[in-house]
Amino acid sequence: MRLKAAVVPIAALVILFPLGYSLARSVFSWGAERGQPFLAKPETKSAGCVRDNTWMRFHHMDLLKQVRDEAVREGKRGNIGLNTCRECHTNRERFCNECHNAVNLHVDCFRCHYYP
Amino acid sequence: MHVSVGCMSDAQRIAPDGDFLRGVLAAGGEDLKKCFQCATCSVVCELSGDTAPFPRKEMIWAQWGLKDRLVADPDVWLCHQCNDCSTRCPRGARPGDVMAAVRRETVLYYAVPAFLGRWANDPKFVPLLLGVPAVLLGLLLLGTYPPALGPSKKLVFSYWNLLPHWVLMSFFGLFSLLAFLAVVGGVVRFWRAMKSADERAGNTTVVKPLARSAGAALKRILTHDDFAVCTAERWRAVSHFCVLYGFLALFVVSIWVMTARYNPLVPDDFAYPFSFWSPWRMLANLGGVLLTAGCVLMIWDRLKDRPHPVASTFSDWALLAALLAVALTGFLSEALHYARMEPHRQIAYFIHLVFVFALLIYLPYSKLAHLAYRATAMVYAEHTGRTRGATVTHEGRDHP
Repeated sequence: MRLKAAVVPIAALVILFPLGYSLARSVFSWGAERGQPFLAKPETKSAGCVRDNTWMRFHHMDLLKQVRDEAVREGKRGNIGLNTCRECHTNRERFCNECHNAVNLHVDCFRCHYYP
Repeated sequence: MHVSVGCMSDAQRIAPDGDFLRGVLAAGGEDLKKCFQCATCSVVCELSGDTAPFPRKEMIWAQWGLKDRLVADPDVWLCHQCNDCSTRCPRGARPGDVMAAVRRETVLYYAVPAFLGRWANDPKFVPLLLGVPAVLLGLLLLGTYPPALGPSKKLVFSYWNLLPHWVLMSFFGLFSLLAFLAVVGGVVRFWRAMKSADERAGNTTVVKPLARSAGAALKRILTHDDFAVCTAERWRAVSHFCVLYGFLALFVVSIWVMTARYNPLVPDDFAYPFSFWSPWRMLANLGGVLLTAGCVLMIWDRLKDRPHPVASTFSDWALLAALLAVALTGFLSEALHYARMEPHRQIAYFIHLVFVFALLIYLPYSKLAHLAYRATAMVYAEHTGRTRGATVTHEGRDHP
């Protein structure tokens, strides 16, 4: 079977498209003043987060699930919960949702839990 | 055993290599000795040039065990195993399979260290060859557990945060470098061998400078021009096209992801992972689909019932299996990631890494080495004017 001559330029375009897209995006946003940081800074009401920042970045969901299981299944209510998060991370839209939207990861928590 | 043959005007003393011959016979060329040198193969071959036609001469070199000529022969690699020769051979000597077997022996010949070449083409060593990377990765995991998640300026949620990024990078970097050096060493020796063989034959013509030869060869590879003239193996062009471009797409995305946290083009707020509809992720998924489809086509091609079957050796299956394993474990870990199955996705990704690692470090010794040796032979052919005859076009021969 003879491959049509157009297939190779199309393949090259497809493979190089993401690179071009990223290049164009960075060129167009060059020097543009960003209005606000990607994530809203926490309001420092307490001394720090319940866990180390880097740990929280990767494992906040594990902690929340653990707290949920303890509270719902074992009846142990500790002093960590979504309300604890809210004390500093007041704005869900500007904190939780930013990353979750960026990776198309749906957050189930707030279907039930109130977190403005 | 030494045999003197009259060759043109000068008598030459030839030194047959019995081991090489046995290697070719065992690797799919078992019908080699049926050849009676009628040259039908060289005539029907669409890829064969006018100045140094093949595969007839390779058949007799192989019969005589003339290893030194075969490992210095670019024509062995200009063959894309269309099998137009094998289907038309009146003796059933299957020159196409002989050429494939000679290519395998050539890879073994240039392999450094040589034992890795033998191991990578022997099913006995599969557990060892896959076990070593698995154990090494496992030791790295144990050595760095619990994973220290170093702070980074960018928001990077590593896909696999069991190993610190720098450990994974240096592990793969070191072994890729070793594989790269082995490939470069083999290619340089191959080039020198081709050159000195041509000089001995008094052929020192250079028709194109190296850079232009490389460009012409690259164009032939990317367009699959050589595959496209095959008639007996029509699907080869399609399946190889899918595998090559799928592989390229995955390679480009992998490099981008691996360097995302050092890449100034990546916005410094959020580097990784990509959203599902990010161009990068779409390219990776497309590449995975292409790679899988190409491998499945190739496997189907080898298994299907037909009058002139292609010899399939362990080396063929090993490369196909490794490529398919890389694609499927990649998709599996992506699916498990989206299903948020915590230990499962880590295990799937571990297996994925082992296969990627195996593909990479055994590149100089496996059938995948063809990407270096065939490319080198094609550049050399362009460089010295050993190209497909001018009378041959895509549609076949111009004149009746």
